Amino acid sequence: MNYYVKVTLLWLVPLILLIGSLMLGTTGNLTITELLDYVNKLITNNGVINAPQETILWKVRLPRIVLTFLVGSSLAVAGAVLQAIFRNPIVDPFTLGISSGSAFGAALAMLFPIMSVNLSAFIFGVCAVAFTYLVSFVGARTTIVSMVLSGVIVSGAFTALLTLLQYMSDPYKLQAIIQWTMGNLHTASWQKVQSAFGPIILGLVVVLLLRFKLNVLALGDNEALAVGINPKYLKLALIAVSTMITASAVAAVGVISLFGLIVPHMTRMAFGPNNNIGIWANISIGGSFLLIIDDFSRAVMPFEIPVGVFTMIIGTPIFIILMRKSLSIWSS
Amino acid sequence: MKSIINIKNLSFSYGKELALNKLNAQFDAGKLSIILGRNGSGKSTLFNIMAGIQKKYDGQVYFDGCERRNIGTGKKRTIRIGFLNQFHHTTFPFTVREVIMTGRASFQNFAPSAADKEAVILILERFNLLHLIDKSYISLSGGERQLVLLCRVLVQKPDILMLDEPTNHLDLHYQIAVLKCIKELANEGTTVLCVMHDPNLAFMYGDNLYIMQNKQLVDIKDLEYRQLHVLLEETYQIPLVQLDNQGRNLFVPKI
Repeated sequence: MNYYVKVTLLWLVPLILLIGSLMLGTTGNLTITELLDYVNKLITNNGVINAPQETILWKVRLPRIVLTFLVGSSLAVAGAVLQAIFRNPIVDPFTLGISSGSAFGAALAMLFPIMSVNLSAFIFGVCAVAFTYLVSFVGARTTIVSMVLSGVIVSGAFTALLTLLQYMSDPYKLQAIIQWTMGNLHTASWQKVQSAFGPIILGLVVVLLLRFKLNVLALGDNEALAVGINPKYLKLALIAVSTMITASAVAAVGVISLFGLIVPHMTRMAFGPNNNIGIWANISIGGSFLLIIDDFSRAVMPFEIPVGVFTMIIGTPIFIILMRKSLSIWSS
Repeated sequence: MKSIINIKNLSFSYGKELALNKLNAQFDAGKLSIILGRNGSGKSTLFNIMAGIQKKYDGQVYFDGCERRNIGTGKKRTIRIGFLNQFHHTTFPFTVREVIMTGRASFQNFAPSAADKEAVILILERFNLLHLIDKSYISLSGGERQLVLLCRVLVQKPDILMLDEPTNHLDLHYQIAVLKCIKELANEGTTVLCVMHDPNLAFMYGDNLYIMQNKQLVDIKDLEYRQLHVLLEETYQIPLVQLDNQGRNLFVPKI
């Protein structure tokens, strides 16, 4: 496919999906004329707006669509950034322990309501990454291997603590905790969009600004030094930003597994490893893909499958296919 | 001759293993200086210290009067030092254009400029490698990769260029092509420092020659050929025969 066609699709597909997703829903599908009619009435401010329809579109579907897109983009971009920095295609935003830290934070807040679940999830997600970073310091410097290993250890510790909380909690709270950790796009609201919007957009802008430098980091630390770039602070800044957007996404909708691992691979297959276009592509493909998944579980299935479970189920075969296709590249 | 790099009493050890022992050396500006020595003699250690990768050393390393540890990176750096490492492994299939463009990263705030894009094309033209520009770096042969990496370092127009065995993996044609180019750069005013294994190639192209011996650097430029013969035999621990190559000395193993 022509490069320019692909780039146009990056803008076009999310737009079409956005409109399409507004029309889909369990309470009945809208036709495009009905949707246009509604928008027309809203803009020109004449004609009577159907109140239930307004509620469904404005208060139920739109915030969910916006949040889904934001979260999808965040996880994809964070995955792409971390894979480039660690020069490792099997790293994802949860490798450094964010998901288990956030899940523990959320569970803690559900059992001991000192602060909001989202805030607690965010704080503990960030704490987990900070731990990982500190643990991985070996003799004043941190290597890729030590950091990934530390991530595994810190994840393990937080998972153990989460299990302990689950063991201690009563059945109702246990159910709430488990539902939260499975991903919960169905609880989307404008308030959630509001709290996630700021940090995610800020993070994405920083990554977009630094996307050219990501190519330098992807070649390795010494190769960055060789051309006069100090990789240390750049890496630290990008890890911090990835943590922020991932933690905001997880705090808003729970744990969505495998997504941040797979989307960067899809992007690289379509656009190559150049982060210049790759970061834009991850925003578009990540947002669109999660929107499609959510539409599917919203409108096609008779009951809603939690999005985290869904991504895990469809992610496994996709990942196996992608892995086998790009195996020749990695092993050389 | 103005020396641009001054090394004073440089010592370095890996744990208790001493790798460099009170090494002193000076390298001339705008010359091609070649460092010879056995495997494990400390050449790469010295290289890493000068490249700024290894910072925990004793003694002083001055680049144009500035201690190596104080030379910054990015746009702020006062002196541009480019280096090419011995080993490189890449994970992602970047194109040659993308790989070389990263060499211009220190000139950019965020995005590459038109000048950066032109510099990439010019450097590839210089090496007759323009046909590789859109190929995946991973699909190249070892020799081509080495050349692309050399282009990547050169595209930043370094004041000082350091190369750790740049002729590694290259066939004779490319060995000469690379050395010619390095020599040209030196003639244009770039200070080039090069670690090499082949003494004969070094004698052909080097302006200044050094040999790593007993954890120190010995200047061998002004040695008489008999002394040189002895020193090389001592260093490489093999008997050598001295031949004449168009008025220059050539040393080959005696069998």
